[in-house]
Amino acid sequence: MTMASAPARPQSRSALKRTFERYPFLPALIILVVLIVLNGWFQPRSLSFVGITGLIKTYLALMLLAVAQTYVIYAGDIDLSAGAIVSLVNVVVVGFMAQWGGDGLTILAALGLGLATGLACGLVNGIVVAALRLQAIVATFATSIFFTGLALYIQPVAGTPAPTLFWRTYGGRILDIPFVFYVVVAFAILLVVLVRTRLTLRLLAVGDGQQEAFQSGLPVTAVRIGGYALCGVFAALAAFCITGDTASGDPLVGGKMTLFSIAAVVLGGSALAGGYGTVVGSVIGALIIGFINSLVFFVGTPSEWQNLVQGLAILLALMAGVLVGRGARA
Amino acid sequence: MIKLKLNGVSKAYGATKALSHADLEIEAGEVHVLLGSNGSGKSTLSKIVAGSVRPDAGEILLDGKPVTITGPQSARSHGIAIFYQELSLAAHRTVAENISLASLPSRAGIFVDGDALEERAQRYMALFDGVTGDGFSLDAVIEDLRADQRQLVEIIKALAIEASVIIFDEATSALDRAQVERFFEILRALKQKGRSIIFISHRMDEIFAIGDRATVIRDGQIVGTKRIADTSPSEIITMMVGGHDETDAKAVEHHAPTGAAALALSVKNLGGRGFGDVSFDVRKGEILGFGGLHGQGQSAVLKALFGAAPPTSGSVELDGKPLNPANPRAMIRQGVAYVSGDRAREGVVTGRPILENVMPIHYLRDRMILAHPPASARKALPALQALRTKFAGLGFPISSLSGGNQQKVVIARWLIDRPAVLLLDDPTKGIDLSAKADLFALIRKLAEEGMGIVLYASEDAELLDNADRILVFNGGAVRRELTGTARTRYNLYQAAYEAA
Ligand SMILES: Nc1ncnc2c1ncn2[C@@H]1O[C@H](COP(=O)(O)OP(=O)(O)O)[C@@H](O)[C@H]1O
Ligand SMILES: [Mg+2]
Repeated sequence: MTMASAPARPQSRSALKRTFERYPFLPALIILVVLIVLNGWFQPRSLSFVGITGLIKTYLALMLLAVAQTYVIYAGDIDLSAGAIVSLVNVVVVGFMAQWGGDGLTILAALGLGLATGLACGLVNGIVVAALRLQAIVATFATSIFFTGLALYIQPVAGTPAPTLFWRTYGGRILDIPFVFYVVVAFAILLVVLVRTRLTLRLLAVGDGQQEAFQSGLPVTAVRIGGYALCGVFAALAAFCITGDTASGDPLVGGKMTLFSIAAVVLGGSALAGGYGTVVGSVIGALIIGFINSLVFFVGTPSEWQNLVQGLAILLALMAGVLVGRGARA
Repeated sequence: MIKLKLNGVSKAYGATKALSHADLEIEAGEVHVLLGSNGSGKSTLSKIVAGSVRPDAGEILLDGKPVTITGPQSARSHGIAIFYQELSLAAHRTVAENISLASLPSRAGIFVDGDALEERAQRYMALFDGVTGDGFSLDAVIEDLRADQRQLVEIIKALAIEASVIIFDEATSALDRAQVERFFEILRALKQKGRSIIFISHRMDEIFAIGDRATVIRDGQIVGTKRIADTSPSEIITMMVGGHDETDAKAVEHHAPTGAAALALSVKNLGGRGFGDVSFDVRKGEILGFGGLHGQGQSAVLKALFGAAPPTSGSVELDGKPLNPANPRAMIRQGVAYVSGDRAREGVVTGRPILENVMPIHYLRDRMILAHPPASARKALPALQALRTKFAGLGFPISSLSGGNQQKVVIARWLIDRPAVLLLDDPTKGIDLSAKADLFALIRKLAEEGMGIVLYASEDAELLDNADRILVFNGGAVRRELTGTARTRYNLYQAAYEAA
């Protein structure tokens, strides 16, 4: 039971509260800064230019997938097939390039095909969940098995190499700046653009209450399908990064990323129930997971303990986020 | 000129006829008041016109031409806007965003035009300048607003559609005087422009201040339409009730215990969120009814007595001993039971078996740590059977039961260890008629066995049929007490509809 509240809090307190409400990713940002400092403490080189570039290269895919997941979660839905879409797009792109050669034009065509594949998967999810009204968790779990099955059919075993031009570009430099930085900038611009779209606002409104949104005259089904479609496209972009990073096709590469993407969204301060959140938070959430993993490595955790420590660290980060947020909002 | 016409519009929810063959004509440039007690079908009629509920039968004509309204969006495009009684706002979005949610101004077809959005919101918010209260701004988030401010947003949202037919379904229920005055000025201006307004309210003074004509609806049927200038509050109440004295309560079967019976519960000057200075006694064996319009403090008082929202002032005595309703756990141990009509949120443990849904109170009162299913089942079965609950087995999930049977399970919880006082907060919401009859028979039986019972029912008929005494709430206070043969529909309505 809460006691009768104290007579009026000082003004600064409520300003802090408002700041935290407006930027729900602030607790995550604080945790991220702490993790970065810890990383630098245990391994100064991890914060060097090369270290950061490597980390971004490895975790860009998860950042993109976390963003993908965010759009679905905005509307109060969830996509358990996001990782499977990554796998499917990965093998489609690598398979296409292996078939038609590795010149620039073929690579662009392959990427186009990959985007179309992601979009198609997203639309399937959206139709199954929003139009056929199946439970999102179960329905996308089923489609994840289906997409994985497709990926295994296209490429039964891992190992088909991606063309040299492709991974060299992703891992290389243009004008002395690592290519991934251009990707990051493009990604940032894309997110800024998307924040201002009507779709984003409508997704959030649907997440706040489907009945209210319907009664207001929003096309609820179409909006939810739109969220899944956007998720599919971002999952395809995540697949491109994975392909660049691993330089090969693997029909199971994305599977375990799904739950990490959901964890990143929650770490970033978005509500799983929908209606409330930011994509920036999800990017930060993905980075938190990335820095936790590298920290676990840098402090010299024996390999058989690494999963256990990672798991505990993510739990701690979640708790810290909740506590910081609650403390500031109370 | 007739703007909107309904011909034989009907809607049923299962066995409940929410609206039967409704005929209604709304003229251009009039404020047409819809009147009827709770559950009479006003919101159903409104939602059918606004496209969010599909009628089972009947036709709708606009400007003399039949139209098919396929959904809320289609209603808008026909020039129909609505203020929803339960509001249609997105809690985490801003005021400006909510006002334009369904027709977001855009740039290049895909981007939200923030300037146009704010300009539009500003223009309509200006209508309420000076009466909106603190914290009401373009970028305020709905969640942070007070109830009256949310209603203003919903009003503005309806106004911004610039529709030719606007429905306001209990749009003034949380507004203060100044806000209502301003709202009425706006309505008069709309009337001047030839818009048609359907106005639903329970406040007689408002109806006579703003209405041109009034249509009374009772049990889903249109009773009649009067010019406001040619009628009076008592005539309207008579129409709502259906004859002056004819529908008396079943006062004849007067079970109420004599004044000599011991007090089960005594409440003095109780105050809290949404009510103040409420005093009453409940005798053992008595069913005390709480009546009045929705949200006049009835539920709040019951929740306060159960410790769910502890009262801020006043005193409570249970069986002559002082009691501090600090939290539900303490109250359960003291022998106070509470059953909410909102089963999904406050009653059943969804997804769990029936047995587990019956036992939690017993576990709590006996301070049990480990559950022993066979022993639990021996206790649960008689309680459920006493209620004539229909179920396939104790292990089946609660969701396998109908609403009425779920509610019986929730009540069965309290029957294993009898409480001294049973608080019923609109317990029959969404329950079918036969289950209702079972429930009320049980409640009467519990009373006869010496329990003190407080019953809040949002349907007046239930109250008149089942309560020995009725306290009519209005504006968070008890306005009138109806006992014996004074428990008539007419008296109940009159007390409920008087200006608070
Ligand atoms: N969605 C629904 N499901 C089942 N019954 C409903 C539903 N909506 C309304 N009803 C029933 O229809 C009747 C009319 O309700 P309503 O139109 O809300 O009345 P009013 O607005 O006059 O209070 C009531 O008996 C109510 O219980
Ligand atoms: Mg209503």
